[in-house]
Amino acid sequence: MGDLILTMKGIDKTFPGVHALNNVDFELYKGEVHALMGENGAGKSTLMKVLTGIYKKDKGTITYEGKVVEFSNPREAQQAGIVMVHQELNFLGHLTVAQNIFIGREYMKGRRIDDARMIEEAAKLFQRMRINIDPTEKMSNLTVGKQQMCEIAKAISHDAKIIIFDEPTAALTETEVEELFEIIRELKKKDIGIIYITHRMDEIKVITDRVSVMRDGAYVGTLISKDSTKNDIINMMVGRVIYEEPKTESKVPKDAPVVLKVENLNAGRFVQNVSFELRKGEILGFAGLMGSGRTETARAIFGADPKESGDIYVNGVKVEINSPQDAVRHGIGYLSEDRKRYGIVVQRTVSENSTMACLENFMNGIFINKKKENKETEKYVESLAIKTPSVDQMVIDLSGGNQQKVVLTKWLIKNCDILIFDEPTRGIDVGAKSDIYKLMNVLVKEGKSIIMISSELPEILRMSDRIVVMCEGRKSGELSIEEATQEKIMHLATMEI
Amino acid sequence: MYRIKQNPLVRKIGFNRIVLCLVLLVMYGFFALFAKNFVSYNRLLSAMNYAYFLGFLSLGVTFVIATGGIDFSIGPVMFCSAIMSGYLLTHYKWPLWICLIASVAIGALYGTLNGYLVAYRDVPSFITSMAIMQMSKGVASVFTKAQTVSWPQLAEENGWYRNLIKVKAGNTYIPVGLIILLVAAIICSIILNKTKAGRYFLSIGSNKEAVRLSGVNVKKWQMLAYVICGLMAGIAAIFFVAAYTTVQPGYGDQYNNEAIAGCVMGGTSMAGGLASISGTFIGVMIISILQEGILAIGLNKNYQLVITGLIVIAAVYLDVMARRRKY
Repeated sequence: MGDLILTMKGIDKTFPGVHALNNVDFELYKGEVHALMGENGAGKSTLMKVLTGIYKKDKGTITYEGKVVEFSNPREAQQAGIVMVHQELNFLGHLTVAQNIFIGREYMKGRRIDDARMIEEAAKLFQRMRINIDPTEKMSNLTVGKQQMCEIAKAISHDAKIIIFDEPTAALTETEVEELFEIIRELKKKDIGIIYITHRMDEIKVITDRVSVMRDGAYVGTLISKDSTKNDIINMMVGRVIYEEPKTESKVPKDAPVVLKVENLNAGRFVQNVSFELRKGEILGFAGLMGSGRTETARAIFGADPKESGDIYVNGVKVEINSPQDAVRHGIGYLSEDRKRYGIVVQRTVSENSTMACLENFMNGIFINKKKENKETEKYVESLAIKTPSVDQMVIDLSGGNQQKVVLTKWLIKNCDILIFDEPTRGIDVGAKSDIYKLMNVLVKEGKSIIMISSELPEILRMSDRIVVMCEGRKSGELSIEEATQEKIMHLATMEI
Repeated sequence: MYRIKQNPLVRKIGFNRIVLCLVLLVMYGFFALFAKNFVSYNRLLSAMNYAYFLGFLSLGVTFVIATGGIDFSIGPVMFCSAIMSGYLLTHYKWPLWICLIASVAIGALYGTLNGYLVAYRDVPSFITSMAIMQMSKGVASVFTKAQTVSWPQLAEENGWYRNLIKVKAGNTYIPVGLIILLVAAIICSIILNKTKAGRYFLSIGSNKEAVRLSGVNVKKWQMLAYVICGLMAGIAAIFFVAAYTTVQPGYGDQYNNEAIAGCVMGGTSMAGGLASISGTFIGVMIISILQEGILAIGLNKNYQLVITGLIVIAAVYLDVMARRRKY
């Protein structure tokens, strides 16, 4: 670790109705990987937005390389050497890798763009990073992991002295995560300071030097990563102890009625001959790698995408599901992995989102019964602990975890018997995660049945009664919770069929 | 600025609408100062003639824009309705009341076609409405063999429909049209804010896919917005002829832009998901007073086009700026 490169002191920021940052301190050394953790809405992103000039701070000082600075936009921050790699990647898919890296500062040959030179420079950059990407490839053809590498390459090419990673591993496979860590270690050697926002506990020891925790907009404390335990960090984040053991045995009776049966479902490359059964009161885990076809299977069952063939039975009766409308009518609800695109209607209020799936129950003749709607929503806001000033708040103003709970509320109000949860805890903090786990357990106790798609094996093992493993669009195996282990699941998830 | 916006009364009415009302007042004051004899009841009635048909167009297209679409066919569709139903009345001697219903039906038919193509066939609304704009002009010309159609005057047989805009009472007129337009605006506002249809229009405009995945029949609702829009164009046709009696085939384009301008000024977002009927209403009033004022000042219609264009740019710019600050 080198010298101090960044000190943020007493940072304060208030939005209408929310004290987003309350006297926050943060410091970063050269060549340090400093993790920033906290629940959703704890203020991590806001703090970084203040640093990179997206928001203006109300109070406090930022000292960067010994000078007090205040950037008025991200471009200024970038020019000074502070670059952020966003969680949602920003790139132009139809341009090549090289064009994306040098966008806005293209090498010129007279008045024409010098593509050859950009390709050459990009290749050199990748060589230095020891990664293998073809600079002439179109951006959209790369995997999410590779796209992220390009973003990092772009950051490095800006001569960054501080790189901020916002949940970089959320969408990566294990090998890609390894590659990313290798790059981060290289960056460390070059004395670049790294701020690493994450929700994954297991990454803390592997890659970070120190970890700072925020809670409700305030700075809680900083630990040395190698001396801290998972429970220490969780306690700091939530102020309470939560720890759940993996499930060891299923409490669902072996002869529980089958509520959903899927037979030989086919829908494109990612869904080939998938068959399975879901029993009443059961959580059926769907494990597999990215791109194994779990989401596609769920969407085909739900009618969101067209299917080619296959039969679906609900409570033993064969049903035709050609649209989400049909699925909802048969009591199936689908919680998407991408809530911004498929889950919430951002410009509408919490209550309007909550009643979206069953507005007909809140009608008074031709008029919407706003009072009834609000009352019903308020019940769920309370029981799910959704953090919102009121049910009339626009959903866009809520944090990710709370948005997810709003989508959940939608299906709970609809009272669906079969719920498909696609990565229900992705990008959600530990506190909200545990809320959602608890809720799922309550739901199955009430006799509902859940299909849970998850890329996190500990989550699969903790929640499922049975586990279906998918690989390359096929079901590669099925395990009961009693026999399942991480190794067995990974074996099935990577097997060639 | 922020403190003003947070005032409970201002929040309730909407900052944007207060600004619009001020614009309307300032504009009226400007013309009162610089145009001869501008401040008179007859001038206002004349301005309102323009506001009635434009108001119906604008109210209708507000629903379409709320769903994130656009309709460039409303002006020519209005003309097509007025021409065809007028031709039925004057040439084929159909009873007046059937012709009035026919006018609304023709508008609704175009709206249905437009909505079907957009919602069920996934054709961009920009393209379909452009096509229907051309089509409706052509249909009207073919139907009347390119003749101008003149609806009867008040004194003539079948002239009572003109009472829809104003009724003579002693020495003065009662602006019936304004009352009808206000009632229509209130009904539209109720539809947009209190019914299932309005809720779905706005939600579809904000995130269609999320609404679809909630099990809502988005195609049906999306199409309905265009049907309402077409229907309103058909009603607008009645108010157009009630004010001006004469319609010529092959025109009507400029009213698209003015109707859409009215919506956008009123705070309806071209991106969909946000709409305001009261805003649209005030927007229409601004355009109508503007066009009357321009004529009163002695400039020709072309100046009005320039100024309307500038106002639209300003309104959209403010809309974009407000959004940028928020998100």
